[in-house]
Amino acid sequence: MTSHATISIEPAGIRWQAMLPVVAVVVVAGFGLLSSDYVVTVLGFAFIYTIFCTGLNFFMGYTGQASFGQSAFAAIGGYGSAILCADYGWEPLLALFATMALSGVAAVIVGFPTLRLRGHYLAMATFALGLIVYEVTIEWTGLTQGYMGYSGIPPLGIAGYELVTVKQQLVALVVLALFGVAVAARLRQSRFGRALASIAGSESAALALGVDIARYKLVAFVIAALYASAAGSLFAHFIGFISPEVFGVTMVVQSFAMLYLGGIGTMWGPTIGAIIVSVLPEALRGLKEMQDIGYTAILIFILIFAPRGLAGLSALFGRVRGRVKEAA
Amino acid sequence: MHKRRMLICATMAVFAFSGKVSAEEVFKIGSSVGLTGYAAVVDRAWRDGLAVAAEALNEKGGLLGKKIQVITEDNHSQPQDAVVGYRKMISSDEVMLFNSGCVSAGNFAAASFVMQAKLPMYLCSILPQRENEQVWAFSFLAPPKFEIESRYRYLKEKTGIRKIGLLYDPTPYALMMKGLGEELAKDFGLEIVAQETYKADDADMTVQIGRINAAGGGAVVKIGQGGSTVTAAKNIKQLGLDKMLLLSSNDDGSIFSQAGEVLGDRFLFVAPPVQLPKQLQPGPSKDAVDAFLKYWKPKYPDRDPANSARAWDSMMVLAKAVEIASSTEGKAIRDATEKVPAYTGAYATFNFSDKQHVGITENPFLIGKFANGELVIAE
Repeated sequence: MTSHATISIEPAGIRWQAMLPVVAVVVVAGFGLLSSDYVVTVLGFAFIYTIFCTGLNFFMGYTGQASFGQSAFAAIGGYGSAILCADYGWEPLLALFATMALSGVAAVIVGFPTLRLRGHYLAMATFALGLIVYEVTIEWTGLTQGYMGYSGIPPLGIAGYELVTVKQQLVALVVLALFGVAVAARLRQSRFGRALASIAGSESAALALGVDIARYKLVAFVIAALYASAAGSLFAHFIGFISPEVFGVTMVVQSFAMLYLGGIGTMWGPTIGAIIVSVLPEALRGLKEMQDIGYTAILIFILIFAPRGLAGLSALFGRVRGRVKEAA
Repeated sequence: MHKRRMLICATMAVFAFSGKVSAEEVFKIGSSVGLTGYAAVVDRAWRDGLAVAAEALNEKGGLLGKKIQVITEDNHSQPQDAVVGYRKMISSDEVMLFNSGCVSAGNFAAASFVMQAKLPMYLCSILPQRENEQVWAFSFLAPPKFEIESRYRYLKEKTGIRKIGLLYDPTPYALMMKGLGEELAKDFGLEIVAQETYKADDADMTVQIGRINAAGGGAVVKIGQGGSTVTAAKNIKQLGLDKMLLLSSNDDGSIFSQAGEVLGDRFLFVAPPVQLPKQLQPGPSKDAVDAFLKYWKPKYPDRDPANSARAWDSMMVLAKAVEIASSTEGKAIRDATEKVPAYTGAYATFNFSDKQHVGITENPFLIGKFANGELVIAE
């Protein structure tokens, strides 16, 4: 679905340059910690979406496939954590890992037949998956409490120590988001990551090189599901409440906006996109009823002038610098 | 040059000082409303009702001399956006109370930290589910039981229909009403022969209505709001069910008019007094309706007043609570709201107490119909 053209090639850069995005994330988080709970909440959502989009990037960016159904795994994570913690008194972290495992199994079961499809058919199938789980969260009121939602979900914590304030939770979310990006980066640079890149480039060529396409696609799908599930769980613990609306089509649209705006197929694109898409509407809040118009106009503007996303600009600047050096 | 600097400094000091004074004289009310998304119709009415009430109260000097300022934040009918909006209104705007719209999930999601901030929540929606959160929340929504009882009583007393079908959407309020509908049917000598569900954006309900008809249902008790009521009316007509009644939940008057034009006097609806003002008898209820319409009609002559009247009533209850508390501090207003004596408003009579945080305790609803181009009481 996603052609090789969308896979940005980032310059390797020297070590201190590679650390710049990490520093930027820490600075943003630090700004949040010095601000009000309002700013912390906005940034908290941004880092939860960073995790979600980093997983989605694995499947859509690195592997070049389409998935409109990742919200289904976020719902499994969110409701799983809510039920295990609120009803059965589980430790939040334990519940997070348990629901990730459950989402992984669900991804294998769903992905095995679905990933035989390609292009638009795969997109439709994954979209259907998202809709099915959304309907289940509404209709299976005995389990999910339907539109009434699940409340009383404890904040993230470990061994009886709860992160009570939103600022403490923001620190945890930043650490987890950076960990998620680091794992994704490591996997991308591995043999496995190169196999995914070959699938994204050309499935026929990858097959000719001996890449087991079906297997690699499935593993990428499962990894994306694990990230989505973790994001869903973290959302539940961060807010303390979930309802079906959280995991609806809005989540899919928002995550796509983040991915494409930040730079699909790039390491830091999901993070950049998640922060900008979360913060921008707040910066435009003063526009009142024109807020949505202003917000979408800026998104369109960015996508026109940075079609490979904001993270792709680094490659562009790198090329310009190279040409200047050559000319010199 | 020196004089100019002095003048600038003096001007800045005056502005800074006057800013502080005006901040102290304002009573800020935060309102999280779904101005877009599924709750837009009700919540836009809620927002406008709050604004009209604030204007009326400010004309009388505000609350304890403080001018009321209503700060609204659009939650897009999404809980995540509601959380951000609530946080913003607490941290940045420093509101003293919330008076929010009907997006239940948004209000539920924010309830825990609003409670921690010790701010009362007046709500268009149902109360949050957790008891400790309910302590700070007051609902101005009529219990679902009343809407069901009004329709069942009408069927029992005015018609020969004894077999009915329930057609409901999966929203929290509708599900509560549907559960009560099952419980109460026998008390009115009614039998529920079919229960069918629909989604708010369904464009066709002929299958559900056909099933109710096939099961012998003579009336469809529709539970849920929005354009789906008009769809149901059209589907009954399309199916040629000439004797089937459609009894709708309370909704916007424009919906009633559209459905009434399709089904005529076979379309009936639940309405508070303010929606049928011409036929009200003199008394406290009519006085309250007139007091509200005096401000509402000049601004919005063509709009239905029902949900705005509820918002208006919530502000009048607030005014009484502040008067009792002699304070605009959150905890004092919360405590005083429980002590406000029964207040007859434009929408209903509100009876809050320490054990009763759902204000409407007496059934305010009438059964209306559409006749000669207007909404009237069904005889």
